[in-house]
Amino acid sequence: MARPVDCEEIVVSDARTAILDRIDRALKTARIPVVSAGARGVQPGEFGPSGTLIDRFVAEARALGVEAFVEGSPDAVRARLALLTDGRRVLAWNPDRLPYGADAVVSGAARGSSPRDEQAAADVGVTGCHGAIAETGSLALLSLPGCPRAASLLPPLHVALVRPDNFFFGMGDFFEARTDQIAAASNCTFVTGPSRTADIELSLTIGVHGPARVIVIVGP
Amino acid sequence: MTFAARARDAIGNHQLHVALDRTTATFGTRRFAAIASLDHFETVRDRARAAKMHVLRTLGDSLQRFEQQLIANGVQVHWAENGDAANRIIVEIATGAGVRRVAKSKSMVSEETHLNHALEAAGIAVIETDLGEYIVQLAKDRPSHIIAPIVHMTREQVGRLMHERLQVPYSDDTETLARYARERLRAAFLRADMGITGANFGVVENGAICLVTNEGNGRMVTTLPRVHVVMMGIEKLVPTMADLDRFLKLLARSATGQKLTAYTTLLRGPRRTGEDGGPDDMHVVILDNGRSSILAGETAEILGCIRCGACLNACPVYKNIGGHAYGAVYMGPVGAIVTPGIRGIEQAAELPGASSLCGACREVCPIRLDIPRMLLALRSAAVRLTPQPIALRLGLKAFARIASRPSVYRAAMSAMRRVLRARARDGWITRAPGLAAGWTRFRDFKAPAAQTFEQQWRARSTARRSS
Repeated sequence: MARPVDCEEIVVSDARTAILDRIDRALKTARIPVVSAGARGVQPGEFGPSGTLIDRFVAEARALGVEAFVEGSPDAVRARLALLTDGRRVLAWNPDRLPYGADAVVSGAARGSSPRDEQAAADVGVTGCHGAIAETGSLALLSLPGCPRAASLLPPLHVALVRPDNFFFGMGDFFEARTDQIAAASNCTFVTGPSRTADIELSLTIGVHGPARVIVIVGP
Repeated sequence: MTFAARARDAIGNHQLHVALDRTTATFGTRRFAAIASLDHFETVRDRARAAKMHVLRTLGDSLQRFEQQLIANGVQVHWAENGDAANRIIVEIATGAGVRRVAKSKSMVSEETHLNHALEAAGIAVIETDLGEYIVQLAKDRPSHIIAPIVHMTREQVGRLMHERLQVPYSDDTETLARYARERLRAAFLRADMGITGANFGVVENGAICLVTNEGNGRMVTTLPRVHVVMMGIEKLVPTMADLDRFLKLLARSATGQKLTAYTTLLRGPRRTGEDGGPDDMHVVILDNGRSSILAGETAEILGCIRCGACLNACPVYKNIGGHAYGAVYMGPVGAIVTPGIRGIEQAAELPGASSLCGACREVCPIRLDIPRMLLALRSAAVRLTPQPIALRLGLKAFARIASRPSVYRAAMSAMRRVLRARARDGWITRAPGLAAGWTRFRDFKAPAAQTFEQQWRARSTARRSS
């Protein structure tokens, strides 16, 4: 069925056809090394974990300058969180997204739906997480409803609450086990330590645009 | 200015040498420690290489499947044959959306197309948000390293620059300098209408765009502005998420010696219903700009490069002349291959010569790209292009004749050895006549040994047989 086509679309599709044609022609003469097919198609997680996941995660995260606490009870998690947020402006994930009833501690917090100025003015961002990668000490955060990206980005301090079922050995294991959940979010971010730069004379400077301090509380 | 002239200037620049020595040595050491931290590093490399070569061999199909996934994710896809076309598309997106301010995350490909000029010419303000790139922009300079744009500057230079341009008190403390930049850039992030980024990887199976930054600027420009535009070369694809995992294991280790960059972000389209943060519209501009002609030839393999910069840090030539001498966006061994590919060998015939072919680049390359082989192929293309001096052509012909006749070769070598030894003072020849002066003008030549290798070999085997 004919439909009106505007000029811009024609220009765009011309470039597309031209590029794909050139690639097809190029592939006839391209010198691309043949690498044995057996080297492909191996599953993630193929190299397996060593030691317990929580221990490895905590060790890796601490090596990056993350402060990590392992607490034995929900009460202890809430008490730790209260120490960190008391008297400070908080930007938090929605109540139903925070584990351990932590919302009771940050009930007055700004949320993802709050005005941007309010979010940008927060001193502490409080989040849960969707995965904790032991191999690299990384937190996996998905931008699902109620889990604003800004909470782990705008405040100078990010506090993340981690549950024992969040742990994976490698990023590849997380990709495999959580494919559907990852596909449901427009954004999946791995936070590996505080924001940093070494652009000036390679000297490490912590806290450029993202949080300068990252604190992880692992609960029971 | 020719490459040789720029290189000579760089070699004479003491401050540049101090900066380069520090940077390349530090990166080298950190990389070494980081790869030791990865079990089965060599296996991961093999698999990453196989994945990249697979993508290249199926590039047309892979791009079309990637495009379908992008569209399914709600991304608007554009194709650009060259840099001007890409810039035009992005300026149109910006003007169409009423964009006045753009915040950019570090992107080599946008340097390649001079995107900032195009946006500024259209009356749109652009700010670079990677600390190094921000300083490059303030200084109206160019990046001199793929991942560390201002390795050529000292902290004092940065301090003076910020003092002049930003009217802040002079400081040479890196924490303070970073804070100056942070304060200004935070305001820019919050006010920008559009964020522009490159892409470290595009995942064919689900259309995810992967971005890595240490500072968090990549997250800022993809979270706060209402429009996000990605500019990426056609070669940036990896087949699956399992492959992506392997590339991420290699990238940060090879680049900065980290296990993983501080922020690794996967973007799957604009903000979805119920989400807070993220753009209303997301565009991906897929750029050719000479890459398909690279694909057609001997250097197709270089399209597997993931821009980690490890080959720069390992290269004895880069270590001595830095990035600016290459006179192009991409520098070092990878630049010496990519630049002639993008511009045409006739525009960059000197660059493939900027290598001792020692193979250090191939040794450190996470994708095991055979850089020396490609440099040789480009040299031979350059030689075929330009007529060589008569003396050189005749000289090589004569050498070919001599070298293919053992008795003549032995006689010639023995004569040559006598001449050279007669000219030597304290074991070195410091001046030579005629064409040979081309060598001794820049370096001394060691006097040959009293006996040729062949003579020594024969003497040794005789001695061994008789013992």
